Amino acid sequence: MLQILTVCGAGLGSSFACQMSVDAVLKELGVEAKLDHTDISSVGGAKADIILSGKNFEKQFERYTLDCPTVFLDRLVDKKEIKEKLTPVLKELGAL
Amino acid sequence: MEGLVLNKDNVRLKVEAGNWEDAIRIGAGMLVEQGCAKQSYVDGIIAAVKELGPYIIISEGLAMPHTRPEQGAIGIGCSLITLKEPVLFDGDDSPVKVMICFSAVDSESHMDILKMIVEFVERGLIDDIAKAETYEELLEVIGAN
Repeated sequence: MLQILTVCGAGLGSSFACQMSVDAVLKELGVEAKLDHTDISSVGGAKADIILSGKNFEKQFERYTLDCPTVFLDRLVDKKEIKEKLTPVLKELGAL
Repeated sequence: MEGLVLNKDNVRLKVEAGNWEDAIRIGAGMLVEQGCAKQSYVDGIIAAVKELGPYIIISEGLAMPHTRPEQGAIGIGCSLITLKEPVLFDGDDSPVKVMICFSAVDSESHMDILKMIVEFVERGLIDDIAKAETYEELLEVIGAN
């Protein structure tokens, strides 16, 4: 199953809230996925098909080599923004 | 609202804070008063925001200050403050009017607090929460009474 990871500074607040909004968006789109959240320092070894994080972390992601698409959000719980940015990625991965 | 995590003791409205750091000291300081966190947790939040940027602003006008449990969280707790004058964070141009601080002990068990926060955002309540003058008004806004 598609694995989606949300990432923030502490790995339990913003990323968890974001995960809830992603979950709601995926339900709307009818896409099944396994969701999890973590902190930025663990993202190097994380396994995921798509990663979502805040725009303010974009620079810190540069130090990791990730082989999955990464989506950066202005607002982590904005379902409209999540839907807009996630839909093309889901299509690209053939999940939609 | 089911399982309301707010009460008269963890809500303060129209708080005066000079800047974001002050506001976090007040909001997260309430977690310390409740016995949910040590002072190091408050300092940890401020240090994390300085290091990582304002990742705690999750929607327009709303911040949810928190950090890793090992920074000094004792139990699950939360506080809600609204600010008389909104505060700005470096690296974000949206003035913060409502702050919901929380402490967590692992990465899952504080789910009720986050569900509440996400629900406030999804129902578009942040501006009205910021306007509430009394605890009763706040309950009315969030539909808890």
